[in-house]
This record gives sequence, C-alpha cells and structure tokens, in this order.
Amino acid sequence: MPSWAEFQPYIVTGLALGGLYALSGVGLVVLYRATGVLNLAFGAVGAMGAFIAYSMIQAGDPGWIAWITCIVFAGVVTLGYGMLFGPALAGRGPLVQSISTLGLALVLFGVIDLAWPTTGGQSPSISFPTDNGGFSVGQLTVNWTQVIALALGVVITVGTGAFLRYSKLGTAMRAMANDREITATLGVPVRRVEAAAWLGCGLLAGIAGIMLADLSALDDTTLTFTVVISSLAAALIGRLRSITVTFAAALVIGLVHDLITPITQISNYQDMTPFVLAAIALLVMSRTQVMTRSREEG
Amino acid sequence: MIDTDATGRKAAPAGSRARPIDNRALIRAGVIAVLLLLAIFALPPLMSGYYTDTMTQVAIYSIVTLGLGLLVGRVGLYSLGQLAVLMIGAWVGARLLFATSQPYILVLIEAGLVTMIIGSLITLPALRLRGLYLALITLMLAGGVIVVAATLNFPNGGGGFSGYNGALLHIPAIRRPSYAGTDPAFYRFCVIVAIVMFLLVFVHLRTKPGRSWAAIKQSEPAALAAGINTTVYKMWALALSAFVTGVAGALLAGADRELFSIDFPIQNSISLLAVVLMGGAFSLAGAVIAAFLQAFLPALLQIWGVPNDWLIILFGIGVMQVLATAPGGIADQFPKDMKRLYGLISRLWRRPPVSRPEAVPASGGDRP
Repeated sequence: MPSWAEFQPYIVTGLALGGLYALSGVGLVVLYRATGVLNLAFGAVGAMGAFIAYSMIQAGDPGWIAWITCIVFAGVVTLGYGMLFGPALAGRGPLVQSISTLGLALVLFGVIDLAWPTTGGQSPSISFPTDNGGFSVGQLTVNWTQVIALALGVVITVGTGAFLRYSKLGTAMRAMANDREITATLGVPVRRVEAAAWLGCGLLAGIAGIMLADLSALDDTTLTFTVVISSLAAALIGRLRSITVTFAAALVIGLVHDLITPITQISNYQDMTPFVLAAIALLVMSRTQVMTRSREEG
Repeated sequence: MIDTDATGRKAAPAGSRARPIDNRALIRAGVIAVLLLLAIFALPPLMSGYYTDTMTQVAIYSIVTLGLGLLVGRVGLYSLGQLAVLMIGAWVGARLLFATSQPYILVLIEAGLVTMIIGSLITLPALRLRGLYLALITLMLAGGVIVVAATLNFPNGGGGFSGYNGALLHIPAIRRPSYAGTDPAFYRFCVIVAIVMFLLVFVHLRTKPGRSWAAIKQSEPAALAAGINTTVYKMWALALSAFVTGVAGALLAGADRELFSIDFPIQNSISLLAVVLMGGAFSLAGAVIAAFLQAFLPALLQIWGVPNDWLIILFGIGVMQVLATAPGGIADQFPKDMKRLYGLISRLWRRPPVSRPEAVPASGGDRP
C-alpha cells in the first residue's frame, strides 16, 4: 500500500476531474428532465469541439477564440440535433430517444477519426495558460486549471439549481419534467423550452470537452466514451433526477478513479470505477423500487 | 402467437389465416433451406480466401446479432454491452481450447454456459430496473470489460489463470476441430453452428418464453398482472442471449486463431446495436442482414480502399433514420419499399384504364 504522500496529488486531480464529471452530469440530468432524452452524444460533441479548437490553435488563432468556438460548436450541434430529431421522436419513450443520440455519437466519432486520424508520434493536445500558474498547499501544487474545473462544477451545479428554482424558464423545465402535456396546455411554449435545454446541454458539453482535452487527453475514444460513462454513472446515482446527488457522485467517482492510480495492484482497472460504483448504487436503490406505469418505461 | 415478421401479420386478414399462412410458411422454409444449402455447399468453392474469412465472420456475427435482436426486438431490453459478452465468450473459449483437449463442440457449449452465468450475474442489478437503466448499465459494463480485457489480455498459450504470456515469441494458434481445420471447412462449421443457434432461439420464440417476452415487451406491469414472472423471463432472455453470444465468441476464437483486445474497440459495442436496429430487430432475417452490415461491409470497404470511419458514420445516420422513420429496420422496410416500387411501376404501366389506383401503403413509422 502506498503512503499517504503518494495519494495527495491525486486528490487534486481527482477533484478536478470530478468537477468536470459533475458539470457533465448536471447537463445530462437537466436535459433528461426537460425533454426525456439522455444525451449519449454528450462526449462526442465535446470531443469534436475540442478537436476543432486544437486545429484552430495549430493554425495560429488565439486561444480564447478557439475555446469559444469549441463551446459554441457543441451548443449548435446539440441544438440542431434536438430540433431535428426531438419532434420526430417525441412520444417514442426515453429509451428510443436516448438510443437515437448514439447515432449522433457514432457520426461524430467517425468524422473525428476521418478528419484527425491517429498517427504515430506526438498526439494532439490542448493546454491552457492557467496550466502553468498555481499555488501550493503543503507539498501539493495546484494549478489554476484544476481550480477552474472544480469551481465550474460547483458553480454550474449551484447555478443550475438556482435557475431551475427561481427563473421562469427553469420553472417551465421542471413543469415539463413532471408532465409535458399538462405543461403545454398551460401555455408554456414546449418546443422553445426544449430548445433552451438542448442548447444548455450542448454548451456544457463543449465546456467539458475543452477542459477534459486539457486535463485528461485529447483523444476521441476517451472523450467520447469515458466521459459519457463517468458522468452517466454520476447521473444514474442521482437517479437522473437530483443534481445535488449527481454532483456528489461525480466528485466521488473522480476521486476514487484517480486515488486508485498509485495502488499498482488495481491501477489498471481504475477505468472500471464508474461502472462498479453505479452498479452498487443501482443494486442498493433497486431494493426500494416501485413498479408504476410511468413515462419512464421504454 | 408471434409472427416471424411484421409484414406477414399485416398482410393476412384476421379471418382467413390458416391455409395461406401454411403455404407461405412452407415456401419460406423451402427458400431458407435452399439458401442455406447454397451457403454451405455452393459458396466455399466460389470464394477466395479473403471472402471465406469474411463470410465466416458473417456467420459468427449473425449469432451475435441474433442474441442482441432477441433482447431488443422481442423483450425490449436494449443492451449496449453485447460486445463485452462476446469478449467473455471469446476469452473463455480460447482459454478452454488452450488448456484442455476437449472436443470443440463441448468447448462451444461450455463457453456458452460460462458466458451465460457471468452475463446473468453482471446484469442482475439492472434487471429490476426499467429499460433506460439497463441500456446504461450495459454500456458501462462494456467499458469495464474492455478495461479488464486490455489488462488481462486474451490467452495466447501461456500458463496460469489468464493463459497469457507476454514474453512468448512464437504464439501458437488457437486450435480448430479436426474435421474443420481448413478455412472453408471451418466456414461450413460456423454456418451449421449458426443454424443450430437460430433454431434454438426460434423454438424459444414459438413456445411459452416467446409469448411471455412478447407480453413483457408490450407492458411489464400488464405482464406481471397476467401472472408472468417478469424477472424470471427477462433473466431467461438475457441468459439465452448470453449463451448464444458466448458460443459465437468461442467460434470467433477458432476463426481468428489469435485474439487481441484491440480487436474489440468500444465503439463496436454501439455499432452492434446500430446494425441490429438497422437490420431489423423484430425478425430473424434482420439478424442475418445485421451480420452482413457488421462483418461484410467493412471487408468490402477495405477492398475498395475506403476508410472504415465512413461505415461508422453510415451506421450513425442509419440508426437515427431507422428509429425516426422505420422501426422495423431493413428486414421490414425492404419488402415494403419493393412493394411500393412495384406499385409505382405497375401504375405507370397501366395508366389509361384506371381512374384512380388504390392508395399505396405508406411507409413505416406506424409503430408507436
């Protein structure tokens, strides 16, 4: 067993990763509650945005333009998908709607692989100016990017909670989460609210994509699948409902994932963390399950 | 009563079912038998080594898509982890083939059974949950198993539990049955195993489990109220699907002769579901079409020099299109489209006499 000092740096990286998973998980939960769609293309959209940003930086564009492009791209693509396929699949149940987003994920994954082929040698990467600055706590050095990642997770979670609680649009989203039909009869512009939810989810996907490209790796498989799986696990533990639980679960997943790194016996299996944690959570939660004929049924 | 495909159900009026269906079923069985005989006897001498390998893959993957189609189309369980199940089957098969000198068929059955047990245990937590949760937990399962496989590696003739020896210079090939050592012979062997697996699933669909699955698919609470033990039958479907997929995995071990974890990328887990939906999850023919999409198209693209990524893009578009407009997939849609085309052509042919030809049936999308 490694000593405590060996674990310490991984607390920092784990919390940063957890913050981004939290941000992603919140994005997934909000969209799911508002539209009934679990956006499984979340990671792929962010990955493509990050690759575009990488190319722009390579071409000499200033960094901040590239980052904004990434976020806007993710927002626009997600919104476009929502506008195109949301109405076509409405009423087909969350399962079919969510599986359909996998189609978008496959398309983007293929395009990324075509446009940015994995060649031997140096792999593409993105770095922020905040990577270099930082401060130290004891022997630990923390760079600003990690601080930003965790802070973003907290801010987005709190902000989304407040938004859902106090704003008019947020109230409409909560109403739609309860009953879409009744909400529509009350005069809420359902389509527009859904569009807002798609856009919001896409923007968060862009933020998560560009941040993870820096903190983790700019790699299409990692960004597309690992991110989605980790944040999905967090969202699942939050029962696709509670953004507070999702936030906490995401931090735990990020922490456990990184804290395993120094334990050499099991460090190879660290990517199983989300699956194991979510499986345990589901096992415990399913004990109190009540079967109802609700909309959640596929 | 479960029909093999949706078209048959729609075409026959409710009253006069007995005789015409009998005839049609006979004709269909005859056509299938002839096609299978052609596939077993006529095809191998005609194919080059490359296509023999490809068609072997098609035969094996038709078992995989059969298992997944069973879950998706018949029970309504969307599994994204079928690739993981296949990997487990391939791993167990390869390990047993290296460790023992049992007959190949026995290994196939054992690999199927072990995969069945492992697959059932892993999906147990998700079983009591509704559809979406199962899909998600299986996606995570796929991610997890791929991690394990990358660490454990596939057996290559080494010792110990994992059977992997990284220092091995000469990697022995995974053995094949003595009567199916050559590529064409192994292809025939795979086709025959696939036929047996299809029959196994077909028998299930035509008996009590099939009826129970149909009820569960319509509505789980209603099935429960009708006295169907939904947990047992869902478990049964998962177990059967894992069994056939495990058998396919063990076949894959013999077909590839050496296995690597990079042969099972995680995106294949999703593209498997995509091809099953595109091929048609509601029919057995759809499973064969899906296998061609999954295993034959990449081989074709490789000859043409087209990057495989185009196929992934195509599958992505295909799955969105199928879900949005044609839930029955190609197996359901293609005959309809042909009928439409025929209607169109025949309308052109005899335009003058008829004032208004009967309406052409609209294409799919009528499933709620």
